[in-house]
Amino acid sequence: MAVNVDPDLQREIARFGGHDVSLCMNCGLCTAICPLSEESGSSFPRRVIHLLQVGGADKLAQTVDPWLCYYCGECSESCPRDANPGETMMAARRYLTARYDWTGLAGLFYKSAAAEITGLAFVGLLVAALFVFFHAPVVTDHVELNTFAPVHWVELGDLVMAALLTFFLLTNAARMAWGFMGGAEMLRISPFVYLKQIPVFLVHFFTQRRWRRCGSERSTTHWLTHVILVSGYLSMLTLVLVLLRWFQTDEVHSFYHPQRLWGYYATAALLYGTVTFMISRWREADPMHRFSEASDWIFLVMLFLTALTGIIMHALRIADLPMATYVSYVIHLAIAVPMLVVEVPFGKWAHLFYRPLALYLTSVREAAALAARQPAAAAA
Amino acid sequence: MTGGPAKDRRIGVFLCHCGGNISDYVDMEKLREAVKEELGVVEARTTMFACSDAAQQEMIDAIQKERLDGIAVASCSPKLHLFTFRAMAERAGMNPYQYVQANIREQCSWAHRGEVDKATEKAADIVRAAIAKAGLSEPLRPMRVETKPQVLVVGAGVAGLRAALALSDLGLTVYVAEREERIGGWTARLGAMFPAERRGTEMVQELERRILERENVTLFTRAEVVEKSGSVGDFSVRLRVRETESIALNVGAIVVTTGFDAYAPSDGEFGFGQDGVVTLPEFKRMLDEGEGPLARNGKPVRTATYIYCVGSRQNEEAESPNRFCSRYCCTATCHAALVASRRDKNVRQYHLFRDMRTYGKYELVYEAAARKGSVFVRWDPADPPAVSRVDGHLVVRVKDRLLGGEALEIPSDLVVLVTGMVPRENASLVNALKLPVGGDGFFNEIHPKLRPVETVVDGVFIAGAAQGPKTLAESVASSLAAVSKSAALLLKGYVDLEPFVAEVDPLRCTWCEKCTEACPYGAIEKVAADGREVARVIPSLCKGGGACVPVCPEEAIDLLGYSDREIKGMIDALAKEAVHA
Repeated sequence: MAVNVDPDLQREIARFGGHDVSLCMNCGLCTAICPLSEESGSSFPRRVIHLLQVGGADKLAQTVDPWLCYYCGECSESCPRDANPGETMMAARRYLTARYDWTGLAGLFYKSAAAEITGLAFVGLLVAALFVFFHAPVVTDHVELNTFAPVHWVELGDLVMAALLTFFLLTNAARMAWGFMGGAEMLRISPFVYLKQIPVFLVHFFTQRRWRRCGSERSTTHWLTHVILVSGYLSMLTLVLVLLRWFQTDEVHSFYHPQRLWGYYATAALLYGTVTFMISRWREADPMHRFSEASDWIFLVMLFLTALTGIIMHALRIADLPMATYVSYVIHLAIAVPMLVVEVPFGKWAHLFYRPLALYLTSVREAAALAARQPAAAAA
Repeated sequence: MTGGPAKDRRIGVFLCHCGGNISDYVDMEKLREAVKEELGVVEARTTMFACSDAAQQEMIDAIQKERLDGIAVASCSPKLHLFTFRAMAERAGMNPYQYVQANIREQCSWAHRGEVDKATEKAADIVRAAIAKAGLSEPLRPMRVETKPQVLVVGAGVAGLRAALALSDLGLTVYVAEREERIGGWTARLGAMFPAERRGTEMVQELERRILERENVTLFTRAEVVEKSGSVGDFSVRLRVRETESIALNVGAIVVTTGFDAYAPSDGEFGFGQDGVVTLPEFKRMLDEGEGPLARNGKPVRTATYIYCVGSRQNEEAESPNRFCSRYCCTATCHAALVASRRDKNVRQYHLFRDMRTYGKYELVYEAAARKGSVFVRWDPADPPAVSRVDGHLVVRVKDRLLGGEALEIPSDLVVLVTGMVPRENASLVNALKLPVGGDGFFNEIHPKLRPVETVVDGVFIAGAAQGPKTLAESVASSLAAVSKSAALLLKGYVDLEPFVAEVDPLRCTWCEKCTEACPYGAIEKVAADGREVARVIPSLCKGGGACVPVCPEEAIDLLGYSDREIKGMIDALAKEAVHA
């Protein structure tokens, strides 16, 4: 099967932050120095960059190489042309996220900060409007959050949102899998193989442990910060999606109550992670954070604001300031909801899903290939 | 003649330690003992470094004090110091051609490390042979030829025109013979060229204007060289001009700058012959004509695909494949791509190359082309790109080495075959000037690095793309080198030629013509002597190659400096020990 070329791919990738593709002379130093490339049996970043150069868009959509890179930055530091292979891999991930997304929103948001902000603002205003027009009675002599925003209604809204996000994310992920596994080929693999490899997905989803193979101290630090951030994020998600009835209570528990401790941990982890990464991006000292697209900033800022508004609201509630609590609650949701709606299926959040998925699919393919060989060997 | 029998000769022998290079493996004192009693030897001594100034002065003193008429220096290869010691002998007042060098370093000490006894024995044999030769040597004089301060430049491309101007600047009279009606060669047809964006047309106009201003430059167009006789410094050349006139010139040197031809692909080679498939020169003409986005036959060219190395670096079993790299085309193509992107910044360009040879600072041209969006794809010579037509559109299919050999299919509006340089058809010129032609069909220099513009024909120089593919800058550099070489030859007023030429004994010669057949330089002529036809060697043409000597059935030919008598004497000396044993 010949590769049909799309000569405009170079221009397209520039819109996702890959500005230096044309500088690359394919020397391969990046691939030689990459600590992850060889063990993947691939030859990224060079292969990915070359696909971008020649315009092998379809071919690129069929590879998961960009998801196997954790941007340790050694390639960018050693590139003799300053072609920033690491950032090109980052741009390829943005491009792929957009390409998997059948709604076209991801591409729109990545290419235009204005569009992304508009999207966030739209969802945020929608959430605010819901509360402005449909809120329950406002008790003003003391804080009664569950009267203002009855927890079962909020929970219902949560579940509807979760269902929508899951639908978009999974359909996009299915498109990724379809391309990588060779279309209908993927249906020929036994469902048991898919099931058996699920632990691979879970391990990588929760630990991102492959990142540590980058080997450098700097990468390990980033990995640790990222794990903390993810743990904070997943804590928050668990508390508001699964345990909302236990989490959103009018009764103020003692400080050592698990509800409060877990909530504080989530807030601290989110604040620490986002602030650390924002400082690093601001300083541009680390190769991983030298280049920041608007989408990178927006995600960090939204996560940060989610945690910040959450903890402010919590403080106001403890101070027993009813109106301030209700207003900050609405603001909190008007930030958290759009952050989830826009970022999970259409934005940077998706990488949390696609990275482990890439490793999972690779394992499935390897296991299937092994299984196909063994009967043949047994027959022989 | 001071030749005479060896016993009357006064021969000096100098044995060089060469720091230890020789003396570590050859017992120098034993060696001196072994050779000091040889016939005619009156002086035998060792020295630490014979080539040092002090040692040379000591040898001069010895030559003068002992009135030596022959010397042998046993040291390194004559490649290194033959001329050093010959000049030393001349300074001492000796005939320099009665100096003999014995190589006991490369051919003895270095080759027999750790075997001192045997190496010393061998060194003694080598030195004895040298002494024998010195004892039999005749005093020789170099031949002096008066030179004509005139030069013929063949070919009026940029290399030839620049050579003519530079020769004229040096005060030499210059004749330029151009085969075509117009001068300027390929460059006259070119627009902007790398690296300075100068236009070829303008460059040639400028050169033409300057040439026409010179009073000591005569330009002949539609002129061909039909005959050459004489030798270095004094050639007689006949030109045929405009097919009718015949012009005789007398020149001291000839500079050949006949340039190259563009490779013409055969029908079907990479799709050649199909509409939309053009060669590099054709593409450059397209770029030079008109403005704005490229178009061909009214259709816009949105995607151009370049296939490199067409007609270069061929290794198939073709009849006479062009194995060489044409050197200039990679840079020319990257530059053309830049010009194309200047005309249309949205044009998409695919460069399908084997190895990118934008050497030196031309790397910047490659980089600039890449920055403007040119895409480079490397292919394997075992699996070259294929051009086909699908639904009326050109499609180039190429296996991409960086994608593990996966094929790319590139729909193209234009396919440019990057054709290289090939030698020009020059059979009559080669015949007239006896120019040496290499296996690749270009003219051959003596040594590509050490003597890059000289040919085996003394006084005939080559320059520019006539001797192999070159960029314009390289071409002009080599033509100026040829100017230096010819001016150095002619401005001195005379040339001294080595005296090692063949001589025919007219009494023995029976004019069997075997020697004329053997001589590659055409240096033997037929003359009448005492009413018989005999051979005579023209000294100024003879290179002392010696091919005529062994073929003569009458042993009538001797090579001065390497006469049968000398060589037999050396063999006797070499065999002396063996006979005794």
